[in-house]
Amino acid sequence: MRFSRKIRAFFRKGELEAEMADEMRAHLELLEEENRRRGMAAEEAHYAALRSFGGLEQVKEQARDQSSVRWLEDFLRDLRFAWRELIKSPGFSLLAVVTLALGIGVNSAMFTVLDGIILRPLPYPGLERIDRFFRATPQNPDGDFSPADFRDLKQGIAPYGDVAAYRAGEASLSEPGQPAEMATAFRIDSNLFPLLGVKPQLGRTFRPAEDVHGNDRVVILSQRVWQNRFGGRADIIGHVVRIDGEPHEIVGVMPASFNDWRHFGGIDFFRPLGLTNEQAADRHATFLRVLGRRSGQVTAPEAAAFVDNFGARLARDFPAENAGTAWHVASLQSLVAGDNGPATLALLIGLSGCVLLIACSNLANLLLARTMTRAREFAIRAALGASRLQLLRPLIAESVLLAFAGGACAILVAQWFGDWLTLRSTADNGEQAVFTLDLRVFLWTLGASVVTAIVVGVAPALFALRLDLHGTLKSGARGTIGGRHHQRFRRILIVGQFAIAMVLLAGAALFIRSLNEINHRRAGWDSTHLVSGSVLLSPAKYATADMIESFQRQAVQRLEALPGVASASVSSFTPYFGWPDAQKFAIAGRPPPPRGQEPVAAINRVSPHYFETVGTRLLAGRGFVGQDDAQAPRVLVINQAMARGLFGGENPVGRRLVLLDGTAQTTAEIVGMATDVVSVVPEMKPVSWQIYQPIAQAPRPRCEVCVRTADIAPATVIDSIRATVAGLDPDLPVRNLKTADDTIDRANYQEAVLRDMLSSFALLGLGLASLGIYGVIARAVSQRTGEFAIRLALGASIRDITRLVLLDGVKQALLGSSLGLIGAIGVAQFFVASWPGMHFSSLPVLVGTTLLLILVALLACWLPSRRAGRVDAMVALRAE
Amino acid sequence: MAKNSEPIDLLQGTLDLLILKALQYQPMHGFGISIRIRQMSDEVLQVEQGSLYPALYRLEDRGWIKAEWGTSENNRRARFYELTAAGRKQLEAETNTWRRLSAAINLVLEGT
Repeated sequence: MRFSRKIRAFFRKGELEAEMADEMRAHLELLEEENRRRGMAAEEAHYAALRSFGGLEQVKEQARDQSSVRWLEDFLRDLRFAWRELIKSPGFSLLAVVTLALGIGVNSAMFTVLDGIILRPLPYPGLERIDRFFRATPQNPDGDFSPADFRDLKQGIAPYGDVAAYRAGEASLSEPGQPAEMATAFRIDSNLFPLLGVKPQLGRTFRPAEDVHGNDRVVILSQRVWQNRFGGRADIIGHVVRIDGEPHEIVGVMPASFNDWRHFGGIDFFRPLGLTNEQAADRHATFLRVLGRRSGQVTAPEAAAFVDNFGARLARDFPAENAGTAWHVASLQSLVAGDNGPATLALLIGLSGCVLLIACSNLANLLLARTMTRAREFAIRAALGASRLQLLRPLIAESVLLAFAGGACAILVAQWFGDWLTLRSTADNGEQAVFTLDLRVFLWTLGASVVTAIVVGVAPALFALRLDLHGTLKSGARGTIGGRHHQRFRRILIVGQFAIAMVLLAGAALFIRSLNEINHRRAGWDSTHLVSGSVLLSPAKYATADMIESFQRQAVQRLEALPGVASASVSSFTPYFGWPDAQKFAIAGRPPPPRGQEPVAAINRVSPHYFETVGTRLLAGRGFVGQDDAQAPRVLVINQAMARGLFGGENPVGRRLVLLDGTAQTTAEIVGMATDVVSVVPEMKPVSWQIYQPIAQAPRPRCEVCVRTADIAPATVIDSIRATVAGLDPDLPVRNLKTADDTIDRANYQEAVLRDMLSSFALLGLGLASLGIYGVIARAVSQRTGEFAIRLALGASIRDITRLVLLDGVKQALLGSSLGLIGAIGVAQFFVASWPGMHFSSLPVLVGTTLLLILVALLACWLPSRRAGRVDAMVALRAE
Repeated sequence: MAKNSEPIDLLQGTLDLLILKALQYQPMHGFGISIRIRQMSDEVLQVEQGSLYPALYRLEDRGWIKAEWGTSENNRRARFYELTAAGRKQLEAETNTWRRLSAAINLVLEGT
């Protein structure tokens, strides 16, 4: 026998059956022959043989039962049967599959997101040994390093492994005949790519000699820029481009796999660190980010202890710069999700889980109702001797079939969702967060489908097992019964659905409200009629503070001369987002605070008409004027919160502050007090302390150009702004030149995506729950037709019946919502703990959600209750 | 074994052992196996066809015996079963188990 019997038994059933029949026949003939030999007549011998053999078919069936693939055959037969049954009721099947597809699909999509954000490893070999270093200061727990600190670290790093530094930044990229573009450009240590274990797909990485200032006119492109800007041309190596007005040679192109949006994927190109000797010896300015790779024997705790000690030593040795700092490391992979990442994902997964739960309970309900209408069929089967297992098998087969059909559609839902998310997250520079379905998502969906099948199949199966044979058969042709335990089961389902819907809706609503509030927050400034864009003056072309100052002054003058423009300004930051520059200061005439404990305020350098342009009001004193230039006495404007914090209720105008920059100290007079500015970014403190300084007294090469239009739409001046800047310097791009509201929307696109996702979960959940609640109540009412008929016959009015049904539904809605309230309050507390910068107004949302659910319950009960009220007592009672 | 005119029912689980033993020296068809068991037991043990075939199929499914079509002594097509290597091992194991069991039962019955 070449074939294994088991495989043959499965695939060649017919052949095997024939063999079995042959074998039995042969046996019978031998028996017959023996009987004849013993002297029986031919006919008698035949019957005697048959008698002694016993029931031929029974023997065959028992023999078939011995096969170990029998269960599989049975299961397939059950599936075929279930398939025929489902096809017979297409409405039910479609509803079940769609419910499942949405429920599981949303969860598969969430798994795709989880996978795309957290689970998928960054594209670096030996990733588990790569750490990011941080230097915590009292102001910034995730601070960066000064070049001198990094140099010391590099010299003493041997016990840990290896380190490399890089510096974030922007640069303009231009080629002859094309408009200049501002690009995200990092400067990196020649050791960075070797440390990460990545190689360029074309050309080479940087050489150590290129780390030195003067040798750094080389550039490595990202694959994205190579494709988008240079058309992926193969002869790119050796090509010269102008960066910040200087010619740079392209020496390499990174591979597409390096384009991970969670780490270096957003960077357009890389240049060598290129520090001057003076810069390299500086311990004050902290702008280097540091990555490290632990060597083989060093464990993570050992590394953490080493880095902690090293930081403590530098803090002791150089107290002027490092007092109060503490160093720490975190594994690179653990950082990809961002600060709020894990909490956001927990939120999304929790809420999408709620959608699945609602879908499951709907399905359980549908299956239960279906099983109940088939109660007679089950009772007859049981009466004919079907075992419990045999009763259950077709039910389980149906659930499995539904779950797999639902799972297959869920993959489509997840695919569509991933595409949508990828599209939504595409940034201006073509950078994309990519969410793709892979094997793991398939496996996850498969797992979810199977678990769902088991969970959902259990309810009707339990019902079938508890079937009261006698009662069901006696109850005649009605087919449906309303025993107490599945009434209770149904109530539990309704109450549970209300509870879960409450958690889902309240959670989504709380978060959406809070996001909207932040997104529309414009306290202390005005976004209408406001346009802004960033400009970066290249150090090669604008080498001195005077040149920068003169460019900025001319730009503002020309912009203000444009038709329709009310005022214009340049500043280091716009009011939309928080200001990352922190300024240490002391109050003149008071004893200086100890090192490392100086008060800090956010600082913005602004040109004279800044306050009018962005719409920040001055509460006391004056704003800046053209005379507040580099030669004039230093002046400041502070915000109200800072004035109150420093001087109580007194007018701050005329007081003097000392600005501390390392060892340098500048005394400046406060000439004005501005209203508090609250940005659209969640902040830890309600209002931060804010200082304004004339930009002419502290020129910065990077600035934001802001223009307020008089009464025309702000978008209409965008082209003339670009032309005005190009008129001053044709090589100078204006980046992100947009209306204030567009810029804010773009910056908050992640929140917008989050909001869209939460809204769709909430709508989906509410829709499914309403459908489920309606279905259950309608069925319950139709089963009580007889009861209502008796009540009507005994003199109840139609209103009484309606009230009975409505009250019942509302009672369940209230019970469910109250249970859900406990969960919703828990969710609200989770929000408050996880997003400390956001404000959650729980009370109105919780009250609103409860009212909405009661409304849904009333609607769901109202339709069936009308039907209940219209019962014709005579017809209903005769039908008994 | 004492001779008795009444056939006795087989003990649960002993049929497999008897079939394996019957096949120990030569391949046989189903009818032959039932005859052989009857003869070997001096007509005491009767194997019902209703239990024989399920047992044969079970043993085959477990890989202890294998079947091939051949020609019976009266020139008819019949399925001949023979022991596989695993079947021989199983026979040995079951024989040992049975010996120990029956010895133990004898000890109990003959004890005072």
